[in-house]
Amino acid sequence: MSEKLFEALIQAVIDGEEEEAEALVRQALEQGVDPLACINEGLMKGIEEVGDLFSNGTYFLPELIQGAGAMKAALEILEPELVGKEQREVVGTVVLGTVAGDQHEIGKTLVGTMLTANGFKVIDIGVDQKADDFVAAIEESGANIVGASALLTTTLLELKRLIDSIAEAGLAEKVKVMIGGAPVTQDFAKEIGADGYADDAIAAVAVARKMVGAAA
Amino acid sequence: MATERHVIEPITTSRQLRFLEEAQLDTLREATLDILENVGVRFDSEKALVIFAEHGANVDRSSQIVKLPRDLVLKAMANVPRRFTLGARDPDLDLPLKEGVTYFTNDGCGHNVVDFETGEQRASALADVAMMARINDYLPSMSFCWTMVSAQDCGATAPLYEMDAAWKNNTKHYQSVTMMGEKLCRYGVEMATALRGSLEEVKRRPPMSLICCTIAPLVQDKDALEGAMVLAEAGIPVVIMSMPTMGTTAPATFAGALALADAEVISGTVLMQLATPGARVFHCILHAWADPRTGGYVGYPLDARTRFAPVEIAHHWGMPSLGGACGTESAEVASWQAAAEVATDPLLVSMASAEIVTGLGLRATYTLLYPEAIILDSDLYNQARYSHLDMEISPETLAVDVSAKVGAGGHFLGEKHTRKYMRDALVRSNCQELDAAGQYRDPVEVAREKVRWILENHHPEPPAPEVQKELDRILAAADKELKG
Ligand code: B12
Repeated sequence: MSEKLFEALIQAVIDGEEEEAEALVRQALEQGVDPLACINEGLMKGIEEVGDLFSNGTYFLPELIQGAGAMKAALEILEPELVGKEQREVVGTVVLGTVAGDQHEIGKTLVGTMLTANGFKVIDIGVDQKADDFVAAIEESGANIVGASALLTTTLLELKRLIDSIAEAGLAEKVKVMIGGAPVTQDFAKEIGADGYADDAIAAVAVARKMVGAAA
Repeated sequence: MATERHVIEPITTSRQLRFLEEAQLDTLREATLDILENVGVRFDSEKALVIFAEHGANVDRSSQIVKLPRDLVLKAMANVPRRFTLGARDPDLDLPLKEGVTYFTNDGCGHNVVDFETGEQRASALADVAMMARINDYLPSMSFCWTMVSAQDCGATAPLYEMDAAWKNNTKHYQSVTMMGEKLCRYGVEMATALRGSLEEVKRRPPMSLICCTIAPLVQDKDALEGAMVLAEAGIPVVIMSMPTMGTTAPATFAGALALADAEVISGTVLMQLATPGARVFHCILHAWADPRTGGYVGYPLDARTRFAPVEIAHHWGMPSLGGACGTESAEVASWQAAAEVATDPLLVSMASAEIVTGLGLRATYTLLYPEAIILDSDLYNQARYSHLDMEISPETLAVDVSAKVGAGGHFLGEKHTRKYMRDALVRSNCQELDAAGQYRDPVEVAREKVRWILENHHPEPPAPEVQKELDRILAAADKELKG
């Protein structure tokens, strides 16, 4: 019985059918299926397949984003049910955002999607976010990685401010900081004391994996 | 002080190209009005929300979404002036907007520079802004001056220093691409007033204007808009620019992206008109494509049909238009790609009758400056300009008598007529300069020599000392207030 449901869930993620995925997990919960099994046997397998299809060139970004969207929507229903039980395994938890004064959305969002598709839990706090907002999100989520994007030369300094704020909040030991965006360079990252830099979303996944000690 | 009395050579043509039919333009406008009335635009500005509410727009304070009834839009749009003059520092270089004339400027605003002396890539600085303003001043292809790169060594007041550097090195109209926020823009107005002597003169011949970007999809930025409102109130023209990216920040269809972007531009324009009726506003949509695999920003796919349709959309609203040209993706200074992608731009955008056009001279999608690139791009510009020049047909140019004299066979080299006209009959481009042996030279080398020559020889008149003193005082005050 649950086998069939898991398969349908896998397919819903592959097809990027958000509503279908939600309906399926609701049905699963009603039938008493283990939420963690729904995640591991359904959603994760689905997103892995989406990731493979993207890597081999069959899928483009809309398929990837919609697959991740279906997974995320279903997770939102399942995760509260995990309270007190065994938690789902994530490669790492990432707080992601674009810095204060900067409205550039797309690069950051793509990084988030690639991380999600690769097993990270991503908390996307949006664009134009102050250092304090990042810090609050880290504290709330217990994230071990922060990803910050800046596309303007005038907002580059916000990245430095973020790193300082993280240190002031006593979180420097707990989170690694990864930065990116068109004007950001490896040298700049080094200069301001960021732990990592990537110039595209695929490289960002590799950097993040390294940060949490996962196999490349 | 200046090398010679310099001139500008805008593209002038009576030929017109239409990308869209009247009925298509009407349909697009209906879609815009539909979006404005039923979807709404988010204005992240309390000031804007208050103005909209006062004028009967449907304002939701909590979501900051403003929905604009059709009649409100049409009434406000009736106030937008179709033509006005962009003032220059040098009155001879003022730009009266008129039918059949297209004024071009350089690209902006990059953040990397391939250093002219060392060839190394580095972050842009104020000295680069100054250098490029000087080169712009010399080039007749440049009718006005854009902030070409960011002054990354100037902190929060960089946009003011960029304008100051432009005025010290350039006598044309200046358009800022970076000035944002109410405070900064007030200083901008103060500087313009110092330059002109009075606010009245600023209004009459605005020496500057501003690019104000919307945030696709359907968001207006607080700092950009509030800054623009300050300038508009002082009579300074503003360009409302939308840069929709098909697939990521806009629908993946041409029409969908243009309608969405138009709604952004029009919502901003309506606000300007409500705040300052008759405010001078340019319409601008620079649409691009997202790579479906990487999301990368692509400005020049093979299929860029109706590239300059936005110019017609602007005119259909009765607004002047800023068109975009030459923003190649290539990171090389003189690759085949850098030239081929953009080669038809100057021709097409001028035939679409854009009033003003950016941007020659950057590479890597508006991010990378090679000082010599603007010389190479000027070749493409001049190719378009010459294409439109009139051919004189008269007894003298028909020269039937000369042909009769030479008759069948023989040659024209012995004719006085040939002696008179041959020299100017062939105009070579930078790519066609010959060396002593009669071989074509490397165009980049030619361009580098031109840059060096301009930097050594061209020294435009800076503002008068007492004016500069006042500008310096304003800059110092701005530093004190804003650099905290
Ligand atoms: C599209 C765009 C916009 C859109 C953004 C729409 C949106 N909703 O996101 C709009 C029109 C709103 C916009 C506005 C402005 N922009 Co803009 N914009 C661009 C443009 C053309 C492309 C950016 C983009 O989306 N690229 C596609 C994505 C996929 O690439 P990406 O962002 O680089 O991200 C990749 C990597 O960088 C990396 N990455 C990104 N973030 C992160 C984070 C982490 C943690 C990691 C590891 C990696 C990583 O991975 C991503 C995926 O591969 C760039 C030019 C350029 N070539 O970059 C200018 C550009 C960045 N903008 C610029 C400017 C000046 C502005 C404005 C100030 C213009 C104005 N005068 O109003 C405003 C500022 C608004 C604000 N307050 O932020 C300048 C910056 C110049 C400078 N010296 O700083 C640029 C370079 C263009 C130019 N030459 O003028 N812009």
